Amino acid sequence: MRKFWAVVRREFVERVRSKWFWLSAVLGPLVVAAILIIPLRLAASGGAKRIAVVDGSTGAFGRRVADSLARGGAFRVVARQPTRTGLLDSLTREVGAKRLDGFLIVTDATVETGAAEYRASNVSSLRDIEELRRVLGLLAVNGRLERAGVDPGTVRRAQLRINLQTKKISGSRTTGESAAESFWLAYLMSMVLFVVIAVYGVNVMSSVLEEKTTRMVEVLVSSLAPFQLMFGKVVGVGAVSIFQFAIWAVGGRLVLTHRAALVGSLTAAEPQMAFQLPHVPASTAAILVAYFLGGFFLYSAMFAAVGAMASNEQEARQAQQPVMFLLMIAYLSVFALANSPGSTYAVALSLIPFTAPIAMPVRWAAGSLGARELVESLGLLALGIVVVTWIAARIYRVGILMTGKRPNLKELARWIRA
Amino acid sequence: MTAPILALDSVTKRFAGHTAVDRLSLAVPEGVIFGLLGPNGAGKTTSIRMILDIIEPDEGGVRLFGGPGAGRAHSARIGYLPEERGLYRKMRVLDVLVFLAEMKGVERRAARHKALTWLERLGLAAWRLRRVDELSRGMQQKVQFISTILHEPELVLLDEPFAGLDPVNAQIVKDSVLELHRAGVTILLSTHIMEQAEKLCDELCIVAGGRKLVDGTLSDIKRTHGGRHLVIGLDDGAGGAPAVFADRGLVTKVDDYGHYAELELAPGADAQRVLQALVASGARLSKFEVQEASLNKIFIDLVGTDAARAEARP
Repeated sequence: MRKFWAVVRREFVERVRSKWFWLSAVLGPLVVAAILIIPLRLAASGGAKRIAVVDGSTGAFGRRVADSLARGGAFRVVARQPTRTGLLDSLTREVGAKRLDGFLIVTDATVETGAAEYRASNVSSLRDIEELRRVLGLLAVNGRLERAGVDPGTVRRAQLRINLQTKKISGSRTTGESAAESFWLAYLMSMVLFVVIAVYGVNVMSSVLEEKTTRMVEVLVSSLAPFQLMFGKVVGVGAVSIFQFAIWAVGGRLVLTHRAALVGSLTAAEPQMAFQLPHVPASTAAILVAYFLGGFFLYSAMFAAVGAMASNEQEARQAQQPVMFLLMIAYLSVFALANSPGSTYAVALSLIPFTAPIAMPVRWAAGSLGARELVESLGLLALGIVVVTWIAARIYRVGILMTGKRPNLKELARWIRA
Repeated sequence: MTAPILALDSVTKRFAGHTAVDRLSLAVPEGVIFGLLGPNGAGKTTSIRMILDIIEPDEGGVRLFGGPGAGRAHSARIGYLPEERGLYRKMRVLDVLVFLAEMKGVERRAARHKALTWLERLGLAAWRLRRVDELSRGMQQKVQFISTILHEPELVLLDEPFAGLDPVNAQIVKDSVLELHRAGVTILLSTHIMEQAEKLCDELCIVAGGRKLVDGTLSDIKRTHGGRHLVIGLDDGAGGAPAVFADRGLVTKVDDYGHYAELELAPGADAQRVLQALVASGARLSKFEVQEASLNKIFIDLVGTDAARAEARP
């Protein structure tokens, strides 16, 4: 047992001592923060697009469109001009010369049939297009109603917007989480789980590979059982990842408490908009930790076996592909999982041990989960860990002493049976 | 005779398609330097791995320190230097030594103390906090050698300890081996360099193709497989020497020049008896020399014929 702890200790100390650990401890949250902040910042600063409105309408429609867009903040209307020959060409040249971001063409037909045109250097910004569509739609409806003789006051009253509040029901309690919060939390968790499991799994793999290529493993295995060595590695590297999480959590806490100041300096957006993740309930955190540990042990065992199979870095990189792919299935399904956490697909993913570690926290964050489902999933995951670790240990035991050709599936099967 | 410190009992190990070690038995008495000799692929490393419990034999058993159970149960009493060497490249020298000693069950603080003593002794004290990959190859090998013996094992297994060493480092290893020997440590060393084995080993076992060809003390092996030639010089009176030469119980072949003769001993005959017979016959000897074949020659004869036999097999 003392030898086992010595292995754990070595893995932990050597890793925590390295530059890379501290680099990722600092850079990790920065990258996550960047992922959260940059789109908002881009939307906020680059949002005011300079556009011209080409007004082909006979009434006040064109003016109302221009005013409405200017009020929205996403666009700055630099000019409103009536249609004339050559105008479109000259505006197009303006856009080409980057003096203008684009122009909107409205006519009476916009009110009647809904036809309008927006030409711009960038038409892929969903946010902008959505804003145009909303403003045009609203004003077109107004125009149509007015033409039909409806009193403008009635129209205004008819247009009072719905303020839909979303609150998640967890268990049978209503929580303060909003839909957006839930989604972002789910997405962020899947990302963190994926990255951390992959990174630390690969760490276990290279540790195994190092001992194999230097033949240290022969000396070690003559002193302690291969399984003890493999498990010691997994626990040691796992401890590093927990430590990493702890650093991130403390760092994240600091960022959150000072977020107003931070966001104020970085973006023009309102602070409460920038961070939609302040609310992580304890139950969510517990589930995150439970599935992270489960996923880590499951995948580390597989990565250890991969490391034992390979004779050099290059081979290992190839051999790890199937494991990575397995891990990626759940990660790539995160949108499907968040959108319909109750679908058959989602349920299947959360029962399969290989996908459950990412799928379940996402489903938990996105929607409510029954206790029974949680127990089933965790039970299967635990069973999966035992079976996979057993198989991985068999492969490990033989693989660490083998050099030369990578084993094919038939040979692997023999290693496992041996 | 005391029980051997290490014994293999008809140990067999097969790998996919071939038998790496075939019913190998050997006994290593306490305190000797035992040579496990054989060409590449003879099964030396596989045998050592079975002794250490790194792999399990398919048949047969290993006994260590007079009791059952292979290496891992006794790991604190065994030191092992594998054939291909390496250390954790990114670790500090001292940390590597402490870790490996811990693997052998040495308590952390004691391990640290011993490691420092050894580093001092081999002139590496200044390097203790450097990373392993900053050391020269020779220094790394010294560090590895320290790691093999730091926990003061009673039995040390050295797999090809001289492979890849320059003459200076080979000398250092040889001196260290002899020092351990003087301290009463039993050493099993595998090698295919016969000159080293001949100088170092008290007992040896030659294996080829996974099978034992011969084992015993160095002098026994030389007597039975090498020392069959006598060179004899005679002063004026040959006396009864020709009669002795003609005794087919002692001599099978003679090349007599009158004052000088080369004899080939009969199977089972002892050179000492020839000497006694010659003295008794009244011959005046000016020279009596048992010509020993070198271990190298014995090895090549044995392994060569074995290899030839192996090729002759269908």
